[in-house]
Amino acid sequence: MRRIVVATIAGAGLAVWAFPVIWGLLTSFKTERDVLAYPPVWLFKPTLDNYREVIFGASSIVPNLWSSFFVSTSATLLTMLFAVPASYALARLRYPAKRASGFYVLATQMLPPVGLIIPYYLVLQKIGALDTYAGLTVIYLTFSLPFAIWLMVSYFEDVPFEMEEAALLDRAGRLRALWYVILPQVHGGIAVTTIFVFLNAWNEFMFAVVLGGNRVRPVTVAMFNFISVEQTQWAKLAAGAMLAMAPVILIGIIAQRHIVKGLTVGAVKGGGRR
Amino acid sequence: MSSPGGVCIEGVVKRHGATTVLHGIDLTIEPGEFFVLLGPSGSGKTTTLRILAGLESVSSGRVLMDGADVTTQEPGARDVAMVFQSYALYPHMTVAQNIGFPLKMVGTNTAEIERAVAAAAAKVDIGHLLRRTPGQLSGGQQQRCALARAIVRQPRLFLLDEPLSNLDAKLRLETRLELHRLQRSLGATTVYVTHDQEEAMTLADRIAVFMDGRIVQVGTPREIYSKPQTIAVAGFIGTPPMNLMPGTWHGDAVTIAGHRLPLIRVTSIPREVMLGVRPGDLRIAPSGLKARVERVEDLGDSSIVTLMTGDRPLKLKGDRLQPVREGEDVFLGFAPEAAHLFDANSGARL
Amino acid sequence: MGQAGRPALTLEAQERRFALVLLTPALAALLLTTTAPLVYLVWNSLHRLDLGMPWLSGFAGLGNYAKMGSDPRFWNSLLLTGVYTASTVVLQVVIGLCLALLVLQIPKGQGILRVAAILPIVLAPVVVGLFWRTLVLAPDFGLVDLVTRALGLGSHNWLGDPQLALISVIAIHTWQWTPFAFLVLLATLATLPPDVYEAARLDHAGAWQRFRHITLPLIRPAVVMVMILRMMTALSAFAAIFAATGGGPGSATEILNLYAYRTSFTELNLGYGASLAVVLLTITLAISYFMFRLRRARP
Repeated sequence: MRRIVVATIAGAGLAVWAFPVIWGLLTSFKTERDVLAYPPVWLFKPTLDNYREVIFGASSIVPNLWSSFFVSTSATLLTMLFAVPASYALARLRYPAKRASGFYVLATQMLPPVGLIIPYYLVLQKIGALDTYAGLTVIYLTFSLPFAIWLMVSYFEDVPFEMEEAALLDRAGRLRALWYVILPQVHGGIAVTTIFVFLNAWNEFMFAVVLGGNRVRPVTVAMFNFISVEQTQWAKLAAGAMLAMAPVILIGIIAQRHIVKGLTVGAVKGGGRR
Repeated sequence: MSSPGGVCIEGVVKRHGATTVLHGIDLTIEPGEFFVLLGPSGSGKTTTLRILAGLESVSSGRVLMDGADVTTQEPGARDVAMVFQSYALYPHMTVAQNIGFPLKMVGTNTAEIERAVAAAAAKVDIGHLLRRTPGQLSGGQQQRCALARAIVRQPRLFLLDEPLSNLDAKLRLETRLELHRLQRSLGATTVYVTHDQEEAMTLADRIAVFMDGRIVQVGTPREIYSKPQTIAVAGFIGTPPMNLMPGTWHGDAVTIAGHRLPLIRVTSIPREVMLGVRPGDLRIAPSGLKARVERVEDLGDSSIVTLMTGDRPLKLKGDRLQPVREGEDVFLGFAPEAAHLFDANSGARL
Repeated sequence: MGQAGRPALTLEAQERRFALVLLTPALAALLLTTTAPLVYLVWNSLHRLDLGMPWLSGFAGLGNYAKMGSDPRFWNSLLLTGVYTASTVVLQVVIGLCLALLVLQIPKGQGILRVAAILPIVLAPVVVGLFWRTLVLAPDFGLVDLVTRALGLGSHNWLGDPQLALISVIAIHTWQWTPFAFLVLLATLATLPPDVYEAARLDHAGAWQRFRHITLPLIRPAVVMVMILRMMTALSAFAAIFAATGGGPGSATEILNLYAYRTSFTELNLGYGASLAVVLLTITLAISYFMFRLRRARP
């Protein structure tokens, strides 16, 4: 009896969280007329027109997809390049002001983005870097880097501490010890962190809308193409959103175990100690 | 120290912030020797080993290997191999890759690496496990893998940090013999850290006993056993440990709890002493020290009797079942030449 | 290393040098992208910087901050921020925990629920906001309206009515982020020793007591951490609200975050916007400091 109650509630939970996405998916295959129909049309003739329009048509968001891709990928690469060595040092090396540096990294994560966007806007405008890939990519480091360092530190701490010593005695030297012995043991953590950083970059909106422009226009900003004062193009918006979110949804489904583990590691282990 | 493989530690002091971990350590280790650093936890023996390895720096003093000052040399340059207590095997590599790693790091060619790995693995009898990863090995096999990784480079110095402590008792005994055999066959200078005095006694050519960051005695196992220099050492070595009783020594006898027991040595001035008698030297006698039998343990080929004199427990070890019962009052005696005398205040051997 | 005639570095010095090399790029990047802009932000907040009326720009000292004191829109945004943050975090944790406790008892369903839970988290907040604005909360055709009409509760302007708008954006935020709390707490609960639950189940009379005295203390660290993280997100929530209501109607959903944005980029009053941002920053840092102390204080 209790099982049925539990299952019902769980089912309701499933409905609440999955249904809007499914509804969106369905809407993307309807014609604009069908969307506005009341009572709602459940059985309808699906059409690919919306997708055609959104991919090939005048309101194509394909250039925006490219924008998102470029910015997200370069931001992710840059972030990981900086974050992995830094987290290794924070997690496993001894050096002066270690606690201070750890606290600093943590503090930078606490900054609300709106606080940074004003100076960014002014500075980028002055040096003419508004609406450029380079400008936006570097700015994306703001929220990616502290988060990536914070997450990677937990993974580095999990490696047994005598690994470097054994490698040093085996004449590897510090750099090769890191490369051959430590990094292979955290490649799961690197994968998870990369996924998270990429997701955050892909989904970023505020920085993109203020600091981007006509040339650099990630897909999150392009969503507003379908909404104007006069009318909302419901079905096209749905199709556009589906397309825009397809990469992250795919990553989410494929890497869901990793993601959950990453969330838990970050939430339970990290943060409070530094 | 100019013989190949010889190690010298001169006046090494190690401070950790405000605490002094090592108070001036001096040691000379002969080439080819199996040298054991023995002591309770926190006595500084592991720190000394790590200083030899180059994993810890010294606050003052020198470390010499083959006559050369290596005090500030980094671990990789010292030609030293170490087996860690946790083995520190690289979990993402196969056994073969683990063993071959030190050779790979100095650029040895692949064919040569393969040959050396096979030879080292054969020496510790894990040749059939080369393709496995450490996670798939048993504790004993992991330990042998760590050993193979150490011997494959034929270093001039082996360091072992309590390598047997993670093994179960039976495996520990077997591996002890193998280790000894291995060291002899390689003829390499070995420094071995342990807190198990039985291990030290069976393996060592010479032992250095550590207490509270100082070396209190250096000698062969026999020397340490038969002539412990301090009360601490005396109480540490031997199973069961030496019986220690406070008393007064005057003339040719020592008086303990009112009972007069004869000795060989004579003193003109009465002094306070601690008398030490090994459990194996105690006897049930018609007269002597009065004690009450607390417990008799029959170990089959020997027996251990626990007795109480006053509030002090004593142990007697004999090779047959002793003719006493629990609760009985008996007298204890010992051969006068088997007595150890220590100054009651300084703890030093008299 | 350590050739004769060249003083060799001690082991500790080598380690320090290596650490320095590894840290410098990241620390430099952080300094450049966070600390320097912050200083510039504070500097800006002390100026009158109005892109719409550039002739008025100049040093203003603490004038902007003084203006805040008598700015009703500011106090409104503070209140809204408090309500928004508190309600979303509490809702997320409570709902997430309840769901996690329930789902724990049906091991077979956990797989598919995890996938469903992942979806809201990986979506872009701006897309979520737009979705809800159009497909879910739109009067007449939106999902919610369909449901309320079917239940006879009529149709409402979920985003256009000032009171309902706040509830709506809270609902949106909660919808998107509850799965986070759910997933983390589910994972944490799963690591608890099972006998704790067996004991709880055997003793029906004390079931609630056992929950309070055994389960809750054990998951406290995870709960606190989730609360901290969710609070950070709520304080800096932007995209979803911007997409759903833009801060309106009027200022009904204008949390401090949005007020600062609007002031800076819609009304082009960057000086005042900067000072608002500084206030938000201070509040955020203060709360996170307080929360971390809380976490560390109790073992």
